[in-house]
Amino acid sequence: MIGRLTQGELGIKGRRREQILFLMDNGIYVVTVLLFIGFVFLAPYFFTTRNLVNILISASLAGIVTAGYTVAILAGQIDTSTQGVLAVATVTTALLFEEAGFSLPLTVVFALLAGIAAGLFNGLIVVNGKIVAFVATLATQGVMLAIALFLSGGQTITIAREGLQEAVFIRVFGIPSSVWIMFLCYIIGWVMLTQTKLGAHIYATGADYRASLLSGVPVDRVIRVALVISALAAALTAVLVTARAKQSAMFGLAIAGSVDFVTALTAVLLGGFSLFGGVGRIERNLVAVLFLTILGNGLQLMDVATGIILIVRGFALVFAVILSVLRARMT
Amino acid sequence: MASDEVILETIDLDKSFGAVHAVRSVSWRVFQGRVNALVGDNGAGKSTLIKLISGALQPNSGGFRVRGQETRIGGPGGAFGLGIAAVYQDLALVENRDVVMNMFLGSELTRGPGAIFLDHKGMLQQAHQVLDDIHARIPNVREMVRNLSGGQRQAVAVGRALIRGGEIIIMDEPTAALGVEQTQEVLQLIDTLREQGKTIILISHNIQQVFEIADYISVMFHGELLGTRSRDEATEAEVVAMIMGRRSP
Repeated sequence: MIGRLTQGELGIKGRRREQILFLMDNGIYVVTVLLFIGFVFLAPYFFTTRNLVNILISASLAGIVTAGYTVAILAGQIDTSTQGVLAVATVTTALLFEEAGFSLPLTVVFALLAGIAAGLFNGLIVVNGKIVAFVATLATQGVMLAIALFLSGGQTITIAREGLQEAVFIRVFGIPSSVWIMFLCYIIGWVMLTQTKLGAHIYATGADYRASLLSGVPVDRVIRVALVISALAAALTAVLVTARAKQSAMFGLAIAGSVDFVTALTAVLLGGFSLFGGVGRIERNLVAVLFLTILGNGLQLMDVATGIILIVRGFALVFAVILSVLRARMT
Repeated sequence: MASDEVILETIDLDKSFGAVHAVRSVSWRVFQGRVNALVGDNGAGKSTLIKLISGALQPNSGGFRVRGQETRIGGPGGAFGLGIAAVYQDLALVENRDVVMNMFLGSELTRGPGAIFLDHKGMLQQAHQVLDDIHARIPNVREMVRNLSGGQRQAVAVGRALIRGGEIIIMDEPTAALGVEQTQEVLQLIDTLREQGKTIILISHNIQQVFEIADYISVMFHGELLGTRSRDEATEAEVVAMIMGRRSP
């Protein structure tokens, strides 16, 4: 860590430090509610059923990626390959469903398998290659993007065949299935992280690799599993994105902004997670995703230029990183 | 104390790292229910000997006798199996986890099919009990380890060793980084462990402290074991002389 200050130098100790940490951890709830109330008054059409459902759909896609991403970052692994996994999985979905004529369940299974394969590949480079995840996954992302480009011939694959969008976006109680799937992901994630041995090992490995190793935690296996979960969530999102757009999503800049590594990272950091692993609660990330989605949606409705919105989002990440580093210094 | 029983014995233990002969044919006897101090200057081979006993290193030759049985210690897991648990100098605690999770790290209690789910209640109860047994002053076992004092941390690390069935507890410089009050706390902790019949192997630089707490004092010099004295028959001057390499008559 660069320029790390000791607690003494920061002049914050004991109770007071715990209070500030509590604020940093839970501030996201307050800020999100305030933002929501603000837009109700400021942004036209914001507080309509149609728009609220839209927010939920957008949030569901970013939310699922972030849920998986959370697990990786808790294990101390900054997974930057999300974009690559999305690309491979969206092309797999479109090719199998549209061109190979696979049934819907089989298409989904293969898209998810592609995600698992990508995660295992990441694990191989990180664990066996002993390379920091941030760098390793940046490299594997390049490979994945290239594979997606090769498979698709560089073309967007339009899905004319009926059944994908309709099946994936069935409404239950008026809310599209992707939203329910997101909630399910967070419930599973919460149970896994707080109630299982694997969860305890993920937290411990991220918080202190060496201490966990000496204590008999199977750290390498934990890292592999975390990277697979992260990639699996990205692949699941890819299926939903593809179904929603009725075409393979373009990768590179086009998906950026809603479902990508940067959004996931911003959400994770705003949610009070440490960039260095081992700290954070998954339910806060759900709120952070809602915050980012509401922010984008509200500004759009207020007719703010797209460029400005992107700048605001950029600052959100800067702010989140500062928050995270402050927190790391304090703990 | 001549009637004390030997619980662990190293037999002609030898370990080299390339040209460095770190442990030379050491035959050391560790007495049951006693505090066995191991002293020596930097580089005398104490740490290597301890790592051989805790299974972190494998000897080039020689072996062990534990409770009268000849055995080998294949790795840290093998050492746990024999009731040998090391408390590392940096304690190997995870700062951002609470006391309970640290005490059970790597040996979590589970329930349900496939041992997937954590038994939070069981771990909480057992953590309370173990900490009570060693009179540890930790008000809240849900406190993050980062907020604990040095003495409390030592108690958590020892608690972890006990939870893993530690009968022979190796403590590597447990007071090295502590202030006066915390040091007293750790010495009391060692005393409590002895009262409960645990065997303690204590590595220390602090001769005064060793004389205060240990029953037996063994001295290493240049990889060799120069000798073991019971505290009552040794003098500080003699031990210091041995540490500096003068064999006692």
